[in-house]
Amino acid sequence: MSDYLNDNPNVVEENDLPSRKVSEDDQLLMGSVGSQTCLKKKRLLLKIDNSGQSSVQQAVELLDKMLLLNSAPELTSDEESVEETDGESLEQTNEEWEPVDAQEIYDLTAHISDPEHPLSLGQLSIVNLEDIEVHDDGDYNKMAEVIIRITPTITHCSLATLIGLGIRVRLERALPPRYRFTILLKKGSHTSENQVNKQLNDKERVAAACENEQLLGVVSKMLSTCK
Amino acid sequence: MAISLIRSLKLQNGKTWALDFTPQGNKLAIASEDHKIKLVEIESLEKKQFKLVNVLDDTVHKKAVRTVAWRPHSNPPCLAAGSFDTTVSIWSFANNDNAIEDDDDDDDAGAGLEANEMDLMAIIEGHENEIKGIAWSHDGMFLATCSRDKSVWIWETDEMGEDFECVSVLQEHSQDVKDVTWHPSKYLLASSSYDDSVRIWSEFDDDWECVAVLNGHEGTVWCSDFAKDNSEETRLCSASDDSTVRVWKCVEEEPDGQQQWICESVLPKAHERQIYSVSWSDDGLIASTGSDGSIVVYKESAPAVWEVVETRKLAHTVYEVNEIKWIKVNGRNILVTAGDDGCINVWDFQVLLSQ
Repeated sequence: MSDYLNDNPNVVEENDLPSRKVSEDDQLLMGSVGSQTCLKKKRLLLKIDNSGQSSVQQAVELLDKMLLLNSAPELTSDEESVEETDGESLEQTNEEWEPVDAQEIYDLTAHISDPEHPLSLGQLSIVNLEDIEVHDDGDYNKMAEVIIRITPTITHCSLATLIGLGIRVRLERALPPRYRFTILLKKGSHTSENQVNKQLNDKERVAAACENEQLLGVVSKMLSTCK
Repeated sequence: MAISLIRSLKLQNGKTWALDFTPQGNKLAIASEDHKIKLVEIESLEKKQFKLVNVLDDTVHKKAVRTVAWRPHSNPPCLAAGSFDTTVSIWSFANNDNAIEDDDDDDDAGAGLEANEMDLMAIIEGHENEIKGIAWSHDGMFLATCSRDKSVWIWETDEMGEDFECVSVLQEHSQDVKDVTWHPSKYLLASSSYDDSVRIWSEFDDDWECVAVLNGHEGTVWCSDFAKDNSEETRLCSASDDSTVRVWKCVEEEPDGQQQWICESVLPKAHERQIYSVSWSDDGLIASTGSDGSIVVYKESAPAVWEVVETRKLAHTVYEVNEIKWIKVNGRNILVTAGDDGCINVWDFQVLLSQ
């Protein structure tokens, strides 16, 4: 029964999942938001905060909170003035305008739990970095497209659909409305690819599924392991 | 610019799924994800005055309201609403203030709201899964409903809209039925489906049967609409997941009731993603909208030759648009759209003389 691409996956350790290459120094600063702009902001803000008495660790925690809120206007102007004195470019300081890349989509989806196993979709290689395509020119006023090809470990139709639904719900909740998601089963990974693909990308069926409490309960459980 | 925004009305945070307007064109009913049915009155198009006049009893539907339809020739106006909770609710105005003749006795401030109170007349049950579309026949005698359970039901009703008798259950579609629509003057029904086809149904020998299957779309057909000109021709346009709009024409009616239909045109491709809704105006223009958020208006420049006359991108900013409809207000055709941003947008459309 080895007709399927991923019927006996090598389980990958959580720590070995693909992620951005960062130096140890940077890793210390990495919170749940991992973009370069964010990192830059954190460094800049750390400099400011060093004048205070708090330890580095506390500052990192505080910064994480502040950056996640991402709306305090004083923060932005402070940062801009710091950048100006540093002579750095002011362009693209607004995070909303920064395009999302495949790694970010991967980070959002790889930690979703498999509905059957106590492992994540990344560990089971159901979601793979190289199977994520992003078309985004970063313009806040334009639509952007994300195409994810998943490789289910099981050939049972409804579970593949459930995994796809989990990924869709996760991305729709995490990313702004300008993103359009296409979730497909990787070619040759499933007996009824087309059928599952059609379901996963039918807006009305997805909306109805999201009003089904039982289904939503299962999806919430899958998403509870997301970082 | 030929398409210009008259007004954007934000009604809630979730999706607005659908809208319909009274035959007089002065009241909009809106179906939304928050389980509610809302009524918006067009007070003055010139002054861009719109008013949310009522939110119907929101305990009636337990899930999203997917579709709404006003019954034609009904006085006072009567509304049907279909929900993901598998039921259809029927509503009628509580008093006669909404009779088509204008009364002058609503001077006190509270009268506006009271006049828009609607009573629940009936709940129609029968479908096994979510209701996706509903439509009244031109004379208001029949109500058609369709569902994810793959069936189309035809209900016959009395004048008050209190009793509904199911006269036929049509089960030939192999997948979800997304939408139903009636011919503007005949007992001819079109149903659009997830099985990529449109089916045409007609009453024959006291029974309803499928008289034609329109195959050609390469994805779910989301919506269809009959041409509203009064010619002898019977034509239908359809919108699909395959991002095309097609126009179909009935070319022959056989003695046994069967009909021959052809795909007369595939309209110029103007959408990048799924097309969710299409509407044919009474002066022959077709408007479409969908996942890419664009409104596109097409004109038939020569018989069966269509061209795009106007495109409006980002009609609901970056959100998807679920429905588009032409409505006639004071003799003027305007467009109304319902989007995922929770808005109803009202658009002015003027055909430029040079075209």
